[in-house]
Amino acid sequence: MTTDVGFWVLQTLNALQLSMLLFLLSVGLTVIFGLMHFVNLAHGSLYAFGAYVAATLAGVLGTWGAFLLAPLAVAALGAVLYFTLIRSQRRAGPMAQVLVTFGLIFVAVDATRLIWGDLPIGIAIPQVLEGQLALLGVEYPVYRLFIIVLGLAVLGVLTAVLTRTQVGAMIRAGVDNDQMAACVGINVERMFFLVFVVGCALAGLAGAVAAPVLSVTPDMGLQILIPTLIVIVIGGLGSLKGAVAGSLIFGFVQTFGAVLLPSFSSVLIYALLAAVLVTRPEGLLPAKG
Amino acid sequence: MLDLTDLSSGYGETQVLHGLSLRAEPGRVLAILGRNGAGKSTTLKTIMGLLPLRGGSVSFDGETISGLAPFDIARRGLAYVPETRDIFRSLTVRENLDLAARRFPCPQGGWTVERVIALFPRLGERLDNGGDQLSGGEAQMLAIARGLLMNPRLLILDEPTEGLAPIIVRLIHDKLAELKRDGLSMVLVEQNFGFATSLADDVVVVSKGSIVWRGSTAAIRADHEAQHRWLGV
Repeated sequence: MTTDVGFWVLQTLNALQLSMLLFLLSVGLTVIFGLMHFVNLAHGSLYAFGAYVAATLAGVLGTWGAFLLAPLAVAALGAVLYFTLIRSQRRAGPMAQVLVTFGLIFVAVDATRLIWGDLPIGIAIPQVLEGQLALLGVEYPVYRLFIIVLGLAVLGVLTAVLTRTQVGAMIRAGVDNDQMAACVGINVERMFFLVFVVGCALAGLAGAVAAPVLSVTPDMGLQILIPTLIVIVIGGLGSLKGAVAGSLIFGFVQTFGAVLLPSFSSVLIYALLAAVLVTRPEGLLPAKG
Repeated sequence: MLDLTDLSSGYGETQVLHGLSLRAEPGRVLAILGRNGAGKSTTLKTIMGLLPLRGGSVSFDGETISGLAPFDIARRGLAYVPETRDIFRSLTVRENLDLAARRFPCPQGGWTVERVIALFPRLGERLDNGGDQLSGGEAQMLAIARGLLMNPRLLILDEPTEGLAPIIVRLIHDKLAELKRDGLSMVLVEQNFGFATSLADDVVVVSKGSIVWRGSTAAIRADHEAQHRWLGV
């Protein structure tokens, strides 16, 4: 099995696909944390909400319309959350933030149960992305390649915005030192709101594109939360590069662990997490030096 | 120009300023002197809105600015050069400069990136370096340049000479003297008595969170008793 090139290509693509989903989720969470030291444990619930909204809209607008509108709906929900709960918790300290956003997870799980029920919901793959594509001698589902390409495209856009634009420089300055950023006239709180809403939209996008390959269930937000947190702790809080590195590490360790060392697969990532925390407590590529 | 009235402020449970009042006049340099822990840096942080005010008020050109957010205070024309310089580490030198320059486009005859590089040519050689790759002197030059690019009405400097080699201290001194000649108003916190008194017009001395001495630079130079008592000079 392991001498077959096809095996490695297939598993690498699987790992990349998982990595890109995790990247879409973790990048928003980590930049929000880096900028304002705000812990939003309900980030996974926004992902679940994105999946449900996409599943609902797909029946009316088709899958493409759902992919487009679900992130916007989640961004709108994020804005509502910001004004009702998050803004007032900004100065409340990490313990209050963790408790409030942890509470939100349970509210979200039960709200999705009430609205959409307990049974898993499916969503159709868009027609153009159906089927398989031959790649280096392996037949691979086109839709999963689409997820990889989408993740890379988002990474490209975010990198360009953060490194080439004035807004990007402002965000990096805010992550470096929010007080000094304010002293050069930057409204850091408004920037935080912007980053928060964009992070919510990306979580919604992740949920929407994951919906056709995973079953959409009320607890999917809770299931994705731990991997997302592991990604940002391994990668280093607050940094885009850290989110990329953490997502790739998680995706590859999880995927290859499951096929090469099946009996250890569930502990591998935690062992790695522990090793990172012992040797590099700030993560591999932290935003702050 | 800048009026602090009966200011009380501090960190957490600890109150540092106890009813501090002072005034900075336009076109002049005010030095705030005092021993370590007297409350000099706390005064500057309170002016910038970085510490919560417990009492008193700050007004700038007749407008009350205490209670405003730091970004709002900065936009009213106060540029702060902190003791720790606080260069944005993940930005290049050019990005550090642009960040301030683009938010405060220069009015007629104002500061531009070219002009601050002419003032500190060393920064011109470092434009593509990261903010975390600078020497202490370069970081201080960049912090002052960044402040100037905000085209401020008042430049607030916290211990600009701290930790710098004598030759760099002299350079910073000459540049600040040049800015003073051009009429820039400044508030300067310093431990270095000689440096401060050679730049300042007016002097206040802080001890235990309030002003214990105020007067002209000539007066503090002549008042050896005050120097000995409050500054340990």
